[in-house]
Amino acid sequence: MAPPMTRRRALVASLRLAALMFLADPQWLVPSLIAPVVFALVSYELFLGSSAWFVLYAILGAGMMSMWGQTLYGSGWATGQDRELGTLEPTLSAPAPYVYVVLGRVIWNTIAGLLGGAIVYVVIAITYGHPIPLDDPWAFLALFVFVIVTLSAVGIVFAAAYVYTRYAGFIQNVGEFAFYVGTGCMFPVVLLPFWSNPISLIFPPTWALDALRYAAIPNYQGFGWGLGWDLVGAVATTAIYLAIAGTIFTRVERHVIEVGNAAWF
Amino acid sequence: MNDGLAIETRGVRRVFSARKGFLFNEVVETEALKGVDLQVHRGEIFGLLGPNGAGKTTLVKILSTLLTPTAGTAKVLGLDLVEESAGLRPRIGLVLGGERGVYTRVSARENLRYFADLYGIPAVGRAARIQAVLERVGLAESADRRVEEFSRGMKQKLHIARGILHEPEMLFLDEPTIGLDPKSARETRKLIRSLVADGVTILLTTHYMFEAEELCGRLAVLSKGRIVARDTVAGLRSLVGGDRTLEVEGYGFDDAEAARLRGLPGVSKLLSEEFGPRLRYTLRVRSPELTLDQVRGALPGHPELTVRERQTGLEDIYLDLVEEEAN
Repeated sequence: MAPPMTRRRALVASLRLAALMFLADPQWLVPSLIAPVVFALVSYELFLGSSAWFVLYAILGAGMMSMWGQTLYGSGWATGQDRELGTLEPTLSAPAPYVYVVLGRVIWNTIAGLLGGAIVYVVIAITYGHPIPLDDPWAFLALFVFVIVTLSAVGIVFAAAYVYTRYAGFIQNVGEFAFYVGTGCMFPVVLLPFWSNPISLIFPPTWALDALRYAAIPNYQGFGWGLGWDLVGAVATTAIYLAIAGTIFTRVERHVIEVGNAAWF
Repeated sequence: MNDGLAIETRGVRRVFSARKGFLFNEVVETEALKGVDLQVHRGEIFGLLGPNGAGKTTLVKILSTLLTPTAGTAKVLGLDLVEESAGLRPRIGLVLGGERGVYTRVSARENLRYFADLYGIPAVGRAARIQAVLERVGLAESADRRVEEFSRGMKQKLHIARGILHEPEMLFLDEPTIGLDPKSARETRKLIRSLVADGVTILLTTHYMFEAEELCGRLAVLSKGRIVARDTVAGLRSLVGGDRTLEVEGYGFDDAEAARLRGLPGVSKLLSEEFGPRLRYTLRVRSPELTLDQVRGALPGHPELTVRERQTGLEDIYLDLVEEEAN
């Protein structure tokens, strides 16, 4: 087993490399910043005549697009990129467990996702000359970070899938928009058909996003069980996802070495 | 395990399974290694030769903990590859050549820094270690350029730099000079020799026979997943039938003439190749007494006959062994 020092160093090194790769590759600017800002501006114009809180629904959807794309998609995709570049094999042959490499990337993607969400907010505020009203700004900020943590938990599990099989990208692409809509990134899950709600509640971001709307929109009803239970649900499902990730990463690494597919992409 | 051995494998097998068919319900198995026994001594350069698909890279990946064997046991530096891989990884280096395997959008220095951290190289002295390795492989001047701007040879050097960054005791080099220009290839061979001088044990796979002959103390020839021979170059020469090779070229030889050549004193093997209308017989000869005149004398009536002698090279040995295995 790698000493704790190596694991911490691996995490920091991975975070650093992810940042360098992000900055070196301008294509990420489109899903992370440009698309969400455009989406937010269009949403704002479309719902300009509606109540300020309804507009916030739309803005939140745009902000979440940035965070969702960067945190969830980016974390998994980075491992897919390791396969494509052929760097998965040398990374797996190093003493540091691969899960710490993934954690480093997830932390970077979290930072980038937060930045993306903040930029959407600032652009809208500057464009229309006033900040978007929030029911409880401090709670909103805290929950905003928490939403990212829940997305990261799912991102780590997705990353494990990318290590497991080169087809993870296919699965993620198929589920991409279903996940975006199904977890309430775009609009509250309660607006979806009732039968889909239990599926949505399997994912930690569903709970956290519902909680986020409590902090943003006065008299928000959501699932109807209140902010407290949303937080409990979010913490519980996040803990389950992190536990799953911690368990499966060791197995996934072993599986890749048994099957010998680390060089496939 | 013998303390003097860096690698010891017994009956290592590796079977790859792939699912095929419309519903992926058909399992196709390929046996890449069919029971490999190998011993490599500490401090030597051991060469692994074999045609494409022989199992060389599979064996290297198993020995570098990237792949588990389906059966058999294997130890590297005294550690079991499956049970003690975590303890082994910091002590071995792996160089899988080619265009892939590096982060192309960042610099060579950043690539090395990342892997230095994954290998736990102390932060104090890390920069100096990276600089020293870059200088050693000849990449110091390009260290801060993005790797996507590198030639294939430069990427190959970066692979080697990464492999030796953490000062491994055992280094696996999978075709390290493939795609390099002659000057770079020569520099790489020089580097390999210098690593051995530093006490590093090297397992080298290569398709270049002169490279194996120049670098390797001992060699193994792998064919269709089996080691068909292992020895020093001199030992392999005697194995394939002598260190003298005579080549006879001409037109219109018949079977009786071929039989006469095979019957000459000291001839252990006769191989034939056609070049359009011309035919070349290659004779492996154990006896130092057989002269070129005796060969000419066995083929009267061929004024166009060309007979020449050379030392049996590693390429001859390799081709003989692989052909024997194929037959």
